[in-house]
Amino acid sequence: MFKKTLLGTILASALGLPAVAQDAYVIGLTGALTGPPSSTYAPAVEGLRIYIDRVNASGGVNGKPIKLILEDDGAQPSKAAANTKKLITQDKAVLLVNASLSSTYAPMVAESKNAQVPLLFASGVCPQSVYPPADPLQFCTTGYAANYDSQAALDFVKANAKGAVKIGFAAMAIPLSRGEIDHAESLSKTMGMTPVDKEVIPPPTADYTPFATKLKDAGPNWVYSWAPWVTQVRTFEALRKLGWKDAMIAWAHLESETELPRLKDDRFYVIGANALFQDDLPVHKEIIEAAKKADSKYPPTMMTEGWIGGMAIEAALKAAGWPADAARIRNAMETMKLDTKGLRGSVIEWTKDNHFRTRLDYRVYRWDSAKSSIVRVQDWKSYAVK
Amino acid sequence: MQLVVNILVLASIYALIACGYVLIYRVSRVLNLAHGELMMLGAYLVLATASLFDQHPALALAAAVFLSLVSGGLVYVFLMRKMTGEMVLAAILTTVALGIFIKGMVVLIWSAQQQYPAQALGVSNPSLSIGVASISLWSAALVGVTASTYASLFVFLRFGRWGMRMRAAGQNPLLAAQRGINLHGIYALAWCLSTLTGACAGILMALDSGFTVNMPVIGLKAFPAALVGGLDSLGGALLGALIVASAEVLLIYYVDPLLSDVVPFLVLIAMLIVRPWGLFGTREELDRV
Repeated sequence: MFKKTLLGTILASALGLPAVAQDAYVIGLTGALTGPPSSTYAPAVEGLRIYIDRVNASGGVNGKPIKLILEDDGAQPSKAAANTKKLITQDKAVLLVNASLSSTYAPMVAESKNAQVPLLFASGVCPQSVYPPADPLQFCTTGYAANYDSQAALDFVKANAKGAVKIGFAAMAIPLSRGEIDHAESLSKTMGMTPVDKEVIPPPTADYTPFATKLKDAGPNWVYSWAPWVTQVRTFEALRKLGWKDAMIAWAHLESETELPRLKDDRFYVIGANALFQDDLPVHKEIIEAAKKADSKYPPTMMTEGWIGGMAIEAALKAAGWPADAARIRNAMETMKLDTKGLRGSVIEWTKDNHFRTRLDYRVYRWDSAKSSIVRVQDWKSYAVK
Repeated sequence: MQLVVNILVLASIYALIACGYVLIYRVSRVLNLAHGELMMLGAYLVLATASLFDQHPALALAAAVFLSLVSGGLVYVFLMRKMTGEMVLAAILTTVALGIFIKGMVVLIWSAQQQYPAQALGVSNPSLSIGVASISLWSAALVGVTASTYASLFVFLRFGRWGMRMRAAGQNPLLAAQRGINLHGIYALAWCLSTLTGACAGILMALDSGFTVNMPVIGLKAFPAALVGGLDSLGGALLGALIVASAEVLLIYYVDPLLSDVVPFLVLIAMLIVRPWGLFGTREELDRV
């Protein structure tokens, strides 16, 4: 009898069958925890994990713990697909989370649709499918948003420029960044600015100076970049090395809060949808404390996206109740309003048709040499999502 | 003028990396496809030594350079030595595996975040003026290091006892061994010097503008420079680097910045069609490959 039980247990383990009924909310995440792009995604996943651990430590949701299963896809689509399959069939995840490159979206979306399990994008760029009219299964909390970000950045440039704006652009040679900078270039013309140059820079570049030389020689008094942090900051530094003294605005990636004090440049602006830690909100203190307690190797300033993702998961599960299956969680997410405690300018509100958010808010920051700290130069400016 | 400076800096980067490929190939006929990763390892070693020798940037840099030299030797002793007598392809595949191992290891130790060794060392990178052109301090240092590396290697290989042995081992290993030359010692020395030059390139690039785990891709972009010049010729590597860098910088400025990614390989294809053994390469050697 004992032998039979033992054999059964071993077989069940080998086949990945759950030995007992789930007594926790199972959330499956696949993310770029290793590999070159992991610098962007791993800190966000860490923030999300720490948030969920904290929820579990305080009794879970609806009296049940959240079982967060993390799978590394190394930003590879094939691995993301295999991870998703495993999370759905073996782990019985009721909610999937993607924290990886956009190239992993398609296989994950396909698996999610097959199994009808909702999918949350929690640190990669939001896909078009979450914008109205949204795909019923896909949701997104990530801060950056194509088209709106450039509108907000160029509005800031226009409001702060003294005189005519001659604007240069810098993108990384990846579809997302190029598309957004092409859009910004068109937009700048409609806003009365003169686009003077656009540099699309390949990711493995030994020296950014040749690109910056061309950009500088075009004579811009503003430069806008919407690209991975490395392209933004290295283009800016190359421009400064060439003696260019005008202003640049770039997207406030996770790295910006640690990078602004390194650059110490009063004319390098970052625009973003997340409140930086210099705002010193109570929720920032919570993140710092939790990161310290978890002995994280990532700075807390890089965890905001993950923290917001964790908040969204908790809110969705709370609304779905217990026991919750994928359908109930999806229904709960469709009408969710998430108060981010000031991390964002307004609540993240999802509707049946809009799984992105109904409003977007942007703040702008820069380094202030006189104060020797990061300062906010524009408070939340809101845009309606149509 | 600025374009000339840009070409000079980029050519120096490629030349310093390319000479590492040439040193190993010339002596052992092995293509080291982990050269980019070893270059990156040098930059990471600066991060390690910066924390060890706090407030002593010169000491930290010297320690990182020395450790790079040692790591080249260790790679030979513990890995490539076992490949002696095996097919060249096996040795090349071993270097591919080594590259993957190094890349994985550095992510585990230091994470994949953008790193700034200059900040860790507490050194600045001011812009220097040369007439109407500008160059950063560490870029200028890179140009200087490349020039002195090539000059030193020329003297070493031409007049040095071990340099002559290296040339002899490269030309005819069997005869060299029969004359009492310690081939393993020569190969180990080539790996040490190759890793040292690659690491110097990695360290100086990282000091100039930081680096990420994507740095080895730059190592691959320098490979065409070595091939264009002739894979067994240091002078060829220098000229190849200058050709590739000139094409890259001028096309970025006058045509399309996106071409920078493909230019080195376009130049390489053109060279392979016209003169497959490179500008200064030895025809017989390449026929054998």
